[in-house]
Amino acid sequence: MSDDGANLVRRRVLTAVTSAVGAVGAVGVAVPFVGSWNPSERAKAAGAPVEINISRIEPGQMVTFEWRGKPIYVVRRTQKVLDDLAKMEPLLRDPSSEKSVQPDYVDPKFRSQKDEFLVLLGLCTHLGCAPGYQPKVGSVQISGGEWLGGFFCKCHGSKFDLAGRVLQGVPAPINLEVPPHKYLSDSVILVGVDQEA
Amino acid sequence: MNGLLSWIDARLPVVRAWDTHMGKYYAPKNFNFWYFFGVLSILVLVNQLLTGIFLTMHYEPSVEGAFASVEYIMRDVPYGWLLRYMHSTGASAFFVVVYLHMFRGLMYGSYKAPRELVWIFGMLIYLVLMAEAFMGYVLPWGQMSYWGAQVIVNLFGAIPVIGEDLVQWIRGDYLISGATLSRFFALHVVAMPIVLLGLVVMHILALHEVGSNNPDGIDIKKNKDENGIPKDGVPFHPFYTVHDLVGITVFLFVFCAIIFFAPEMGGYFLEFANFEVANGLKTPEHIAPVWYFTPFYAILRAVTIDIGPLNSKFLGFVAMGAAIAILFVLPWLDRSPVRSMRYKGWFSRVALIAFAAVFVILGYLGVKESTPGRTILSQVCSVLYFAYFLGMPFWTSREKCQPVPERVQQKGLSKALVFGGLALFAVLVVVPIKAVAAGGAACGSVPCEHFHADFDDKASLQRGAQTFVNYCMGCHSIQYSRFGRVADDLEIPRDVMREQLIFGDEKIGDLMVSSMDPVKSKAWFGAMPPDLSLVSRSRNPDWLLTYFLTFYKDESRPTGVNNKVFANVGMPHALLELQGLQECAPGPKYDDHGHVIRNAVGELGEIDPCGSLVVGNIKGTMSPSEYRAAMVDLVNFIEYVGEPIADKRQTIGIYVLLFLMLLFVCVWFLNREYWRDIH
Repeated sequence: MSDDGANLVRRRVLTAVTSAVGAVGAVGVAVPFVGSWNPSERAKAAGAPVEINISRIEPGQMVTFEWRGKPIYVVRRTQKVLDDLAKMEPLLRDPSSEKSVQPDYVDPKFRSQKDEFLVLLGLCTHLGCAPGYQPKVGSVQISGGEWLGGFFCKCHGSKFDLAGRVLQGVPAPINLEVPPHKYLSDSVILVGVDQEA
Repeated sequence: MNGLLSWIDARLPVVRAWDTHMGKYYAPKNFNFWYFFGVLSILVLVNQLLTGIFLTMHYEPSVEGAFASVEYIMRDVPYGWLLRYMHSTGASAFFVVVYLHMFRGLMYGSYKAPRELVWIFGMLIYLVLMAEAFMGYVLPWGQMSYWGAQVIVNLFGAIPVIGEDLVQWIRGDYLISGATLSRFFALHVVAMPIVLLGLVVMHILALHEVGSNNPDGIDIKKNKDENGIPKDGVPFHPFYTVHDLVGITVFLFVFCAIIFFAPEMGGYFLEFANFEVANGLKTPEHIAPVWYFTPFYAILRAVTIDIGPLNSKFLGFVAMGAAIAILFVLPWLDRSPVRSMRYKGWFSRVALIAFAAVFVILGYLGVKESTPGRTILSQVCSVLYFAYFLGMPFWTSREKCQPVPERVQQKGLSKALVFGGLALFAVLVVVPIKAVAAGGAACGSVPCEHFHADFDDKASLQRGAQTFVNYCMGCHSIQYSRFGRVADDLEIPRDVMREQLIFGDEKIGDLMVSSMDPVKSKAWFGAMPPDLSLVSRSRNPDWLLTYFLTFYKDESRPTGVNNKVFANVGMPHALLELQGLQECAPGPKYDDHGHVIRNAVGELGEIDPCGSLVVGNIKGTMSPSEYRAAMVDLVNFIEYVGEPIADKRQTIGIYVLLFLMLLFVCVWFLNREYWRDIH
């Protein structure tokens, strides 16, 4: 064994090249293992977009649908509710939905494509409980104003108005999420697919 | 970094462990090709553990769910097919490398003192590996899983007095059932791997305690330099790490070639009958264990005589057990003063070649169905198998050995001797097998039509899908296939698929399940029409095409039709409106191999009144050639459905093999650089 310089340099270069190629191979081997944790075709089929018929919802009523195993709230809001939303704004944390999650095709204040129908993912943005629907004025105690209807999460006391916007002084950081949805007709919504421009 | 290392080393002997097993473990410098298989078996073990862990995440160990969950892995889980093929190919690869590793031990006397414990731990690993492989094969819950389990578990019934109770205890039921499946699952994924890993550690610790043997069978520790380092040794790291990388890369090339281009390996790695779900009422026509068990299976079957009160079933079981057990005492059977075949006598050399040939012949016989000739050959080979071990003490203590040199040699036996040995081995294997050859026809009483799948011909696949949905799916499901996947793979737009090929209210992501009521269909046809997702893998496409073409009129059948390939089939001629109804016409008679029977002068022998088929009074909408083309499309589609990933699998395979070639170039030069000064 001779350990002359030239030899060592060549060894180092060859080791580096082999290691680099080997690392590429290791990444390649990791692909099927890591990839296999993604949702399977079965999960995708079960999580496929769902059609929701909204024509039979009464004004002021909320109906819960299921998409990907999660509750989807659809509220048919009356004109009075829509008018009252502005009154809530001083009490809200993110009234124009700047920090919140919603598709860009919904109005940031009304948080809907058509004012009348509010479509929300019914999971609290705090820790994922399903908030209850409290439409009655004054049915929930709040400081600094009057409850004009909204959602109240019993788990940790988070409160949201009837546009799913979070009130101040509660643990939930942002507004309730609006899922991707698309109007197939005036009465049918497809949840899980974005509205085309 | 060094501070951290010394902090850990003060508390855990990492540096000492590294030195003992890698950095200052001196291995003989004359390792040859045969010394790759130890490290390769560790590589395969790691592969089995990793892929196995990921497969358990999707597999369901229940009678209802097992088979479907394997197909779910093959089709719905991202890369599930690759994980499964890596695991199934790995099982066979494990035995390939272990058998070659063991043969290396036989050849160079690696079992002889002081390495008896290394050999015994190795044998225990082999034993656990067989149990592990057997239980793993039950998990997919196919026909071979079920009937293999049935046969192997029943073996224990051969034990006198307690046998039947023991069998019932192993099964946990009166038949191979869900109880058996779940206990095999637990043993396969938890208990056995732990035992296996423990034994592997013991095997390596025992080896590193006494040091590696080498092709010369010389103890390198006898010749040390002034520093106490064996003159004929090199540190395992880096010399053998870079050396093994070459072997690993070549192995991976072969391994990946099988995974991506021949995962079934012609039915040897994945048996065709196992693509059919387990059915306790129907044994497959031909049942054989997976190839790595077949030598012992052949010994089991070779015992056909009773001795006194002991019946052949019990004796066969004993013979099989003894065939494995006798390997354990090998270190004490070899009385030769030398270890390696390089210095042993002529008798030892020829005996080893003959033994290897016997082992391969037994393996071949275990795969094939038995005939009187084969039974005799298996009996002869079984006797020779035991004679090799029982005779060893006699010839090894008497034969004349050559003097063993002081230092290891870079050259082994002369090329002429090595190739002569190989040639002898080949002759010893091929001649006896040729002598007992026999074949069966694959397509019932007629020669097979030949079919070549073409997944690039999307138009053919689309026509086939249409025929399938229109004429087959009324009764048959392809319940592991999804409409959306078929649409995408066949390049059918999803809305066209929805309008033209989905008749019910199924969604595009749904499985392609027939709308037929299973209870009613059982009443109508006597049996539920089978699911066709995997029929092209359990049968074969040639068989399917021949089947579709050979329906004919037969008033004696309740359906009014019969089939040349599948005699007395329960299925009516569902394609009658396309083909019309063929009728029998005189034609040549075929033998069991599907060849026309001719007399000595080459004339047609007997005439079969139904030896050919002609179009009868009931005409179809298609001409015979149109019908044939439609059936080719249909079979193409069914073949596609059997393994939707097949096309993509091969494409990925090409890139993988190209990458391995690149890696090979790197490790080749790396290895050459390190070894250039070692002679």
